[in-house]
Amino acid sequence: MNLKQSLICAIALCVLGTVAWELYWRSQGYYPDLDNDEALFAAQRKRADKASNSDVILIGSSRIHFDIQLDVWKKETGIKPIQLAYPGATPLPVFHDLVHKTDFSGTIVVGVTPGLFFSSTTTEKRAYRSANDKVEYFHDQTYAQQLNHMLSIPLQQNLAFMSDADGVDAMKLQFLLEGIQFGNRIEGSDFPPFPNFADISLDRNLRMTEKTVTDTAFARLIKNVWSFKSTPETPPRELDKEGVMKIFVADAKAFQDRGGNLVLLRCPSTEYYRKKEENFYCRDEFWDELVKQSGAKGYHFEDYVQLKDLDCPEWSHLSGEDADFFTAEVAKIMMNDNSIPFNLKTN
Amino acid sequence: MLFNSLSFVVFLVIVLLLYYSKFLNWTNKKRMLLLASYVFYGLWNPPLVILLWISTMVDWTAGKRLAVEENQRKRKMWLLTSMFVNLGFLGFFKYGNFLLENFTAVINTMGFEYEALPMDIILPMGISFYTFQTMSYTIDMYKRKIEPARTFLDFALYVTFFPQLVAGPIVRAKDLITQFYEEKRATANQFFWGVFLLTIGLFQKVVMADALLSSTSDNVFGSDKLLHGVDAWVGTLAFSGQIFFDFAGYSTCAIGIALMLGIILPDNFRYPYASLGFSDLWSRWHISLSSWLKDYLYIPLGGNRHGITRMYVALMLTMLLGGLWHGAAWTFMVWGGLHGTYLILEKLQKQYLPFKITKWNGIFLAFITFSCVNITWVFFRAREFDTAWNMIKSMFYMQTEGEKILGSFEVLKVSVVVGILFICHWLMRNTSMKAVSLKTNPFVLGIFWAIMLFLIIISQGSGEQFIYFQF
Repeated sequence: MNLKQSLICAIALCVLGTVAWELYWRSQGYYPDLDNDEALFAAQRKRADKASNSDVILIGSSRIHFDIQLDVWKKETGIKPIQLAYPGATPLPVFHDLVHKTDFSGTIVVGVTPGLFFSSTTTEKRAYRSANDKVEYFHDQTYAQQLNHMLSIPLQQNLAFMSDADGVDAMKLQFLLEGIQFGNRIEGSDFPPFPNFADISLDRNLRMTEKTVTDTAFARLIKNVWSFKSTPETPPRELDKEGVMKIFVADAKAFQDRGGNLVLLRCPSTEYYRKKEENFYCRDEFWDELVKQSGAKGYHFEDYVQLKDLDCPEWSHLSGEDADFFTAEVAKIMMNDNSIPFNLKTN
Repeated sequence: MLFNSLSFVVFLVIVLLLYYSKFLNWTNKKRMLLLASYVFYGLWNPPLVILLWISTMVDWTAGKRLAVEENQRKRKMWLLTSMFVNLGFLGFFKYGNFLLENFTAVINTMGFEYEALPMDIILPMGISFYTFQTMSYTIDMYKRKIEPARTFLDFALYVTFFPQLVAGPIVRAKDLITQFYEEKRATANQFFWGVFLLTIGLFQKVVMADALLSSTSDNVFGSDKLLHGVDAWVGTLAFSGQIFFDFAGYSTCAIGIALMLGIILPDNFRYPYASLGFSDLWSRWHISLSSWLKDYLYIPLGGNRHGITRMYVALMLTMLLGGLWHGAAWTFMVWGGLHGTYLILEKLQKQYLPFKITKWNGIFLAFITFSCVNITWVFFRAREFDTAWNMIKSMFYMQTEGEKILGSFEVLKVSVVVGILFICHWLMRNTSMKAVSLKTNPFVLGIFWAIMLFLIIISQGSGEQFIYFQF
């Protein structure tokens, strides 16, 4: 047995196979990007432990994640915020964690996406569980997991196939196998394909891809997901206004009592979502009530002429270009009101 | 730290570079290995390294005293001290919550209203493995079966040696400590074979267990529905394959990594799913645990020296405690109890209905054994008795209204993977991987090796924890 020959042969073939695999995925339009996972979240959450009173933390769902561009915010205010929003999740667990597990008393900007914000207060519901899992991961994260994440970053940044994506963007073996459908033993899922439509950076800045803006057929795929088996008239499946109010207001008071500055931000939505939100989360009963009860400063896109007509290519999030504009305008408005800290260097 | 993680790749490269560097002598290399082992363990939860230190100190002291002490009472006292500390750790960290829950349940049954505060005890990774390993040293010292470790460094490294620290194989002192006395270097062929074993182990874990089988088993055992018989069987077969690939994968990695350092660890699995009966199974599955249980539990309980009834009692107690070793839950006891029952029935069959095993009835017997083992896995995997009982009912079609939750491809995938696993075990049961590789053309072996490496890479193991870490 000549194991040396076997090993050389194995390494050579494996390198060839891996290069071919990478080239195949690149030929399919994929490129290296980071996973918006719990490890990336934990790295930013860790920063919150050391944040000072002049720091800003963003929490919420995907809208504030897409619509606030961190570098633009920094350009306008001189302070780069910590991004702790998470797509498809309510900010409640993250806010609760920041209030009770840190002594942070700077500024927290909460993005309010009504359908998610007012959805639930228990881990039995997906929107709450999703955020809660990230918080728990952060607290339970081992040093080995931190090291693994650190080492995985250069790989994710250079190899397209290094991706945790599932569904139509799946590239890892397990998810590729899960995507194979044949036979009719069980009724297959009719959930529409849900491709990735944003890129994330190491600081968790999320930006809509240009394809979503320019390719209307692609944007349609995302719209199909949002409107799956639902119309603007279909009541929300998860809604617990009273429960959410109670928990959020209690945490808001605790945060403000220790000197924290709380700001609420309602980012734009259009067409399907706008109608749905008007139908089931009417402003005076939800947004106005939330602002009043929490004692926070509230900023609603409808109140500003330059913001109220921004278009969302897939009804819920702004394009990168519009997000830059929105961020700059929101930052200016908030600075004018002295609602957020800023550190503008003057010569 | 997990073998299937990027940090381990970096860790192993650093350890190998230092180990084969010329500027460290053998003692310093052992010190480096010891420090590396603490880092390996501590990167999971640093404070729990203290438990390892305590266990090491107690058994080192007990072993030293047992080597010179002649007074039988004092010798017993040192043995009991070691067992008290090691079993005390196990009892508190592993069984504390379980004991409290059962105590509360009993009190409540008696009509007293009592609700205990949750203890929230962290289960230190691999505690069952390293406590059993250190105890074996002290017990062997007490029985004067072995010589004491020459130095504290040799003993500490025996307790902490990172390749097998958290999930075995549980190595006896006589097999490992003596290897630390003389400088060890792997030969080129040993080193490459070690890399090959590491690849096989990672392939078993990352590709076979995690990518191919875990989701099916999780879906079935996580379902709160009453399942169709096919789904219940396929889920059970998936777990059967998953736990083998997961655990055998860890052991193979451990043996391979140790071999890269020139240290030889014993086999822990020998194609167990082709076992001809249950005695055969336990000489092929988790060999280091079953031999530990035999030497330190079954034989002290009387073994087969005091008649048939006493032997059956000893066998059953050994298997029940073996079940409990795996986890603090009654379902694990049932798992152990089923294996105990199988072993007793097999002994009865051999006594009253003996028959010769031929190549024709052998595979049928192996299949029957494998099927019976699958039934025990239901109790091992299910967290609740209700789940286990529903699964058993579904598997034997007592549940006609069962729901189908697995797609055709999943059923086919698991059937093919587990079918191939069974056939491979059957074909390999009287040989070894080494023997087969010796007969294989190097380029064919290279292609096979490359396929495994490639599949590991495209599976992108997300660092799923090995199942046996929790034990």
